[in-house]
Amino acid sequence: MLLDVTLSLLEGFGVTVQMFVLTLVFALPLGLIISFGSMSRFAPLRRLIQGFVWIVRGSPLMLQVLIIFYGPGLLFGLPLLPRFTAALLAFVINYACYFSEIYRGGIQSVPRGQYEAGQVLGMTKPQIFFKITLLQVIKRIIPPMGNEWITLVKDTALVRVISVYEIIWMGESYIKKGMIWPLFYTMVFYLAFNGILTIFFGWLEKKMDYFK
Amino acid sequence: MAILEVKHIEKHFGSTKVLNDISFSLEKGQALSIIGSSGSGKTTLLRCLNFLERPDGGVICVNGRVIFDAEDKTTQSDKEIRKKRLHFGLVFQNFNLFPQYTALENVTLARELMAKEHGSESKAAIREEGLTLLKQMGLADRANHYPHQLSGGQQQRVAIARALAMKPDILCFDEPTSALDPELTGEVLRVIRELAKQKTTMIIVTHEMAFARDVADQVIFMDDGVIVEQGDPRQVIEHPAQERTRQFLARYSQEE
Repeated sequence: MLLDVTLSLLEGFGVTVQMFVLTLVFALPLGLIISFGSMSRFAPLRRLIQGFVWIVRGSPLMLQVLIIFYGPGLLFGLPLLPRFTAALLAFVINYACYFSEIYRGGIQSVPRGQYEAGQVLGMTKPQIFFKITLLQVIKRIIPPMGNEWITLVKDTALVRVISVYEIIWMGESYIKKGMIWPLFYTMVFYLAFNGILTIFFGWLEKKMDYFK
Repeated sequence: MAILEVKHIEKHFGSTKVLNDISFSLEKGQALSIIGSSGSGKTTLLRCLNFLERPDGGVICVNGRVIFDAEDKTTQSDKEIRKKRLHFGLVFQNFNLFPQYTALENVTLARELMAKEHGSESKAAIREEGLTLLKQMGLADRANHYPHQLSGGQQQRVAIARALAMKPDILCFDEPTSALDPELTGEVLRVIRELAKQKTTMIIVTHEMAFARDVADQVIFMDDGVIVEQGDPRQVIEHPAQERTRQFLARYSQEE
């Protein structure tokens, strides 16, 4: 029995991990692009991006998943996206917006004097970005990024609203058979995964500890 | 011939005129002090010389060659500016050392990047030179320390070495001791004095009147974006000709 449950939970956990990894793969770079937009000197673009970020961050992710899955069909008569793809799309957009704010905070927290010191030493803009600013930005965004990644692991449970079978769904299916322990068992998976993330981010923070 | 000639520099921020018809010249090997109250335009002038601000009017010549002309756009492309700003070095009030690099790496980073572009110098030679500069600043034993492990005075001396590493024709200081605790200003001023003795061409914006008087060959007093008085340091600081200079110095000695 334990083996059966473990196998079926692992199947659900595979979906969870895929959602987690793919969201990061797309949302991390997209967030950087959005953050540049939200800092643009061209005011209309900046306002548009900031408005979009505000809407995405201000409304529930579950709602966004539902809208992206059902919206195109009901509004424009388009065919439905595959469930997993629709969920992933919603997650990528949502997390890219959160990441963009983290990047923006990190970039803006590097003192102006750092750019100027690079400039007066005759460095080019790319040199200043890659050799001076980037590492300082990374150091500053590690703690909020860690929080966001852990939240993402737990948020993946939301994909069930459009019937993507992630781990909790799998665990819940045993309730019909009068078993509650598989639900607790799913928790073990989450805790282990987030435990690894916590250790990873702790290690990163420590690695960056050599400068202030 | 003057190493630096500044002619009729103007700078506006919006509708406020921060620099108005600033002209002066500086001989090679001389030190120039710029004094004046906060908001008088001293720092902006220094930032214009280093192209951190673009002057709205005027001409800057180094060694008799025009390096900036507000009327001539070809002197203002990013590429040109990047090349020409290396005539000047700048030491900031807040040091602005790069926190993720050691003292030595701070000094050598820009030179190494430049060598990578032009393939001119070996890394070892640049490193050697960086160590010599740190030694000259009395920081030989701090070469591998990170900025946060150094005192303010030590950080500022690293910043001076970093500026010197680029071999600027003119080294500018923007209130180099204003961010330091009083007991740490001495070590930085001593280093600048030493540089003056070695005939380093310098422009020093400072609030240290006694220092300005002793170290400089020429003093400029600025107020409200104009040069009110300039000349021999003893003359300007001890026997100012202008009423505004007198008032500033009187207010200043009261504060002290």
